[in-house]
Amino acid sequence: MVPRMLPYLVSAATVAVVGVAAWALTRFVPLPHVSVLFLAAVLTSAALWGFWPSMFAAVLSVAAGAFFFYAPLFDFRVAQPQQVVDLAVFGIVAALTSRLAARVRAEALAARRRQETVASLLAFSERLAACTSDEELRAAVSEHLSRVLGPDAPPVDEEYRKALLGQAALALDRARLRAEIAEARLARQGEALREALLNSVSHDLQTPLAAILGSATALETLGEQGDPRARRELEAAIRDQAERLASDIENVLDLTRIRAGGMAPRLELVELADIVNAALRRKQRALGAHPVAVALPPDLPMLRLDLFLMEHALANVLDNAAKHAPAGTPVRVGASVQNGEVVLDVTDAGPGIPAADLERVFDPFWRGAGAQAAGRGLGLAICRAFVEANGGSVAVVPGAGATLRFRLPVPEAEPVAPDE
Amino acid sequence: MSEGARILVVDDEPQIRRFLRLGLEGHGYSVIEAATAEAATRAAVAHPPELVVLDLGLPDHEGFEVLSALREWSRAPVIVLSVRSREGEKVRAFDLGADDYVVKPFGMPELLARVKAALRRRTAAAEPLFSVGGLEVDLARRLVRVEGAEVRLSPKQYRLLQVLVANAGKVVTHRQLLGEVWGAAHRDDVQYLRVFMRKLRGRLEADPARPRYLLTELGVGYRLRTPDQLA
Repeated sequence: MVPRMLPYLVSAATVAVVGVAAWALTRFVPLPHVSVLFLAAVLTSAALWGFWPSMFAAVLSVAAGAFFFYAPLFDFRVAQPQQVVDLAVFGIVAALTSRLAARVRAEALAARRRQETVASLLAFSERLAACTSDEELRAAVSEHLSRVLGPDAPPVDEEYRKALLGQAALALDRARLRAEIAEARLARQGEALREALLNSVSHDLQTPLAAILGSATALETLGEQGDPRARRELEAAIRDQAERLASDIENVLDLTRIRAGGMAPRLELVELADIVNAALRRKQRALGAHPVAVALPPDLPMLRLDLFLMEHALANVLDNAAKHAPAGTPVRVGASVQNGEVVLDVTDAGPGIPAADLERVFDPFWRGAGAQAAGRGLGLAICRAFVEANGGSVAVVPGAGATLRFRLPVPEAEPVAPDE
Repeated sequence: MSEGARILVVDDEPQIRRFLRLGLEGHGYSVIEAATAEAATRAAVAHPPELVVLDLGLPDHEGFEVLSALREWSRAPVIVLSVRSREGEKVRAFDLGADDYVVKPFGMPELLARVKAALRRRTAAAEPLFSVGGLEVDLARRLVRVEGAEVRLSPKQYRLLQVLVANAGKVVTHRQLLGEVWGAAHRDDVQYLRVFMRKLRGRLEADPARPRYLLTELGVGYRLRTPDQLA
């Protein structure tokens, strides 16, 4: 155990050095009380190592004084009585200074340890404060505690242990509280979302309903002899608004389905053209005022999609084009293959979508600033949810008019052709 | 024409029955109403209808029972009414022998067109020559022409076309087509059919991506248009 012996070895060495120095000194200057010199060694030991090494140095010093300096030389006996007194006094003074020096040293050590404890706690608390997630915090606490207090760690005092544990407990508590607050905020947001949805939906449903009821009762009041043109107009209004109501209700039902998580796409190998044609056929009446141009290359690969989700997504986009583009302007549907994806564009010649709203149009509650044609929000939100369920994506391409771009992955394996 | 034909309307919702009766009677058809499966079966036996409009949404899926009971003895065209969210229902109805379907909500003009077409198909005698637009199929000589030019088809392609011609104007389900062309073992290989239909369209259609003759009924099957459906 070198470390434990070290203080004594160094103390002995110090006494030896002082002894040699004293011996050299006494060659030139006669010193009656050599022992005073040895006090230096004792003090050095006390300051460096504490009480016991310094006592050891004192005993060695007395022995060295008796052996080397006081007659008879090279003998531990001391002849002259005043030299005996001298050594005795030296012993007492050495013992006292040892104690004093050792206490000063112990206090300095304690102060240093306290400072280290405070610094370590501070570092720990800084580390905990830097944690951004609950898991990270928990990991930091357990790592630090097992490092500082674990079985392999050097022993620590009780107070430090308590402070450390207290700090850890406090941090975990704070994290729990934070989580609770976040949860409460989320719940509040959910409520706001539901309310917004309800507002949006009831607006969407009530407007056409009001138009239908109003037109129907207006027809009644017109009676048999009413202006035939007015009658036809009211009849057309009832039909149009009922159709709008039907499509809005369908959207609401879809949204409920998406939110309830009940959307399991049935992916199968299909012709994109079939889906495009079905969506066009469904929206035939809505698109009545627009010439529709379809350009689908005949060698388009077959895609793995859910027919109905994809058809619905596309129908919603066509519906939007019909609603927002002025009558008579064309709606274009085109597709191409790019980097292993089929890119399908639906473009109208309407006012387009402002650059700032490119993403917001997919928000279920968003309505364009103009908002002259309501009900845009749900349609595109549903469209995006459906396309993503199919493994594709949909985004607005900035430019004149509105271009909705679908990207649909091309399946790796080509379908096996049946025998002719 | 079939004006005056007797139509059985089966729907459990009185509002729907009312507008169907008013709409159909307004065009000269005579209408019998039934609100339940049992009443429908009884009415069909008492006054055999020339066409049936059947709501698949009857309670307890009884719409299918009406359909299969009717098909035991009647070949009267059946137009089923279904809602969009239940696509599987449609396929089952076709497999049970339905002739056409209309998705609720629908407009009267749409239903009237379907009714007219179904009644006309019923009275049309089987002819050896089928033609729609520029497509001609000579069943007797097994010849197919597009815009006057003869088109060579593989035996399977011709068989597929033949089945569609035999059911021209009607939706033929994937299962029916697969069973007829490839045999019962391949009834569920819809993928086959899609790949095959692409080839057939390539031979017969000017723009296979926008077919004029061979229409897809999404998730259900295919329909070969008749001349009056081409409009």
